[in-house]
Amino acid sequence: MGVASRRDAVAAEIPRLRRYARALTGDDGEADDLIQDTLERALARLDQWRDGENPRKWLFSILHNLHVDGLRRKSRRPPHVGLDNVGVEHSAPAADGASGRDLDRALHLLSGEQRRVVLLVGLEGLSYAETAEVLAIPVGTVMSRLARGRDRLRSLMDYDGDKNGRAALRRVK
Amino acid sequence: MTAPRRISELELHALVDGELTAEERAEVEALLAASPTEQALARDFRDLNQALRARYAGRLEEPMPGPMQEVLARVPRRRSTRGMRRWSFAAALLIAVTAGLAGYFVRGLVAGAPRSEPSFVLNAIGAHSVYLPEVRHPVEVKADEEHLIRWLTRRVGAPIRAPSLVDRGWKLMGGRLLPDLGLPAAQFMYEDAAGRRLTLYIRKETGLNNTSFQFAERDGLGSFYWIDRPLAYALAGRLSREELMTLADTVYAQLEQR
Repeated sequence: MGVASRRDAVAAEIPRLRRYARALTGDDGEADDLIQDTLERALARLDQWRDGENPRKWLFSILHNLHVDGLRRKSRRPPHVGLDNVGVEHSAPAADGASGRDLDRALHLLSGEQRRVVLLVGLEGLSYAETAEVLAIPVGTVMSRLARGRDRLRSLMDYDGDKNGRAALRRVK
Repeated sequence: MTAPRRISELELHALVDGELTAEERAEVEALLAASPTEQALARDFRDLNQALRARYAGRLEEPMPGPMQEVLARVPRRRSTRGMRRWSFAAALLIAVTAGLAGYFVRGLVAGAPRSEPSFVLNAIGAHSVYLPEVRHPVEVKADEEHLIRWLTRRVGAPIRAPSLVDRGWKLMGGRLLPDLGLPAAQFMYEDAAGRRLTLYIRKETGLNNTSFQFAERDGLGSFYWIDRPLAYALAGRLSREELMTLADTVYAQLEQR
């Protein structure tokens, strides 16, 4: 495959990468910075993408590694307060309504590890095996993080208790 | 008769996520029919996935930010989708204009300045001016001589092609071999119905990195050039920048196709 067709295949994945990064970070600016870095790294290494390999999996792996590196750098700086809410409130259009923001907030109460798995499987539709490869963890770990993450999300969204909460979530569809 | 086994939580997730084989799915669904609690759980998990997709669906429709378009346009160009075509055209044009301006200001002031053109581009423009006015001997070997490509490929040392620009109104006249700082270079000359001439200059390039389209100009003679290793290309003509760009696009597309 030529360089240009590889580049086009990368470009075609950008909307999905941005969707995932936005859900993962909860912040539009941070998400786009992450995608910009992902894109630059991917384009500089187009020759490392093996023919026949799924570009989506390859790109999500690059994104994941960059995100982890970024968090590591950030953790050496003073704590950054209000990451979850400030970005979300700022960027969520009014039409998203309360239930959408609830979902954002609930997602950010999960651990980063759980959130990644819940989003890669639930939002991006990656298989367990693909998710394991992207995150470089065993499939069994994907499954246990998914179970814990979804369980937590479910109780945060009041799926198992308050019927109003549940009704609110259903309206999101 | 033994009581039916309980469904494990992991099985429920696997069911929702489409990870079960047909056989496993049939088994879990049969067990599910008799377990309202697990049924409700599975529904909740499905609802969660759906809520996530609904929440972030709008993100898929957003236009790509400028910096992402620019970084894409820096990779050797060839677009397959119409949306991409518009972006990269605009971005490449912007880069070409910037590079042209930077080259103009920097040229001659700083040796090896980052934006100055590689020497092959100046040689290409020079060769264009030298052979442009030739009436009797514009080319060394005419296009209809079938050894033209074979000969230039052998001399330049990498597979060379002469793209067809007939659809754009340009006829290939032929080609010639030229010296470029001791290296053999090939020049193809094209002519349109109005008698204007266009040259495509090709030389081996192993030192410089691949580039997208860049624009250079000397005394009204413009050239779009790019490097797609092992070869460097410069398309030169006294045409508008847009017209030259369109032709460079066609040339690039043809070279990439084969």
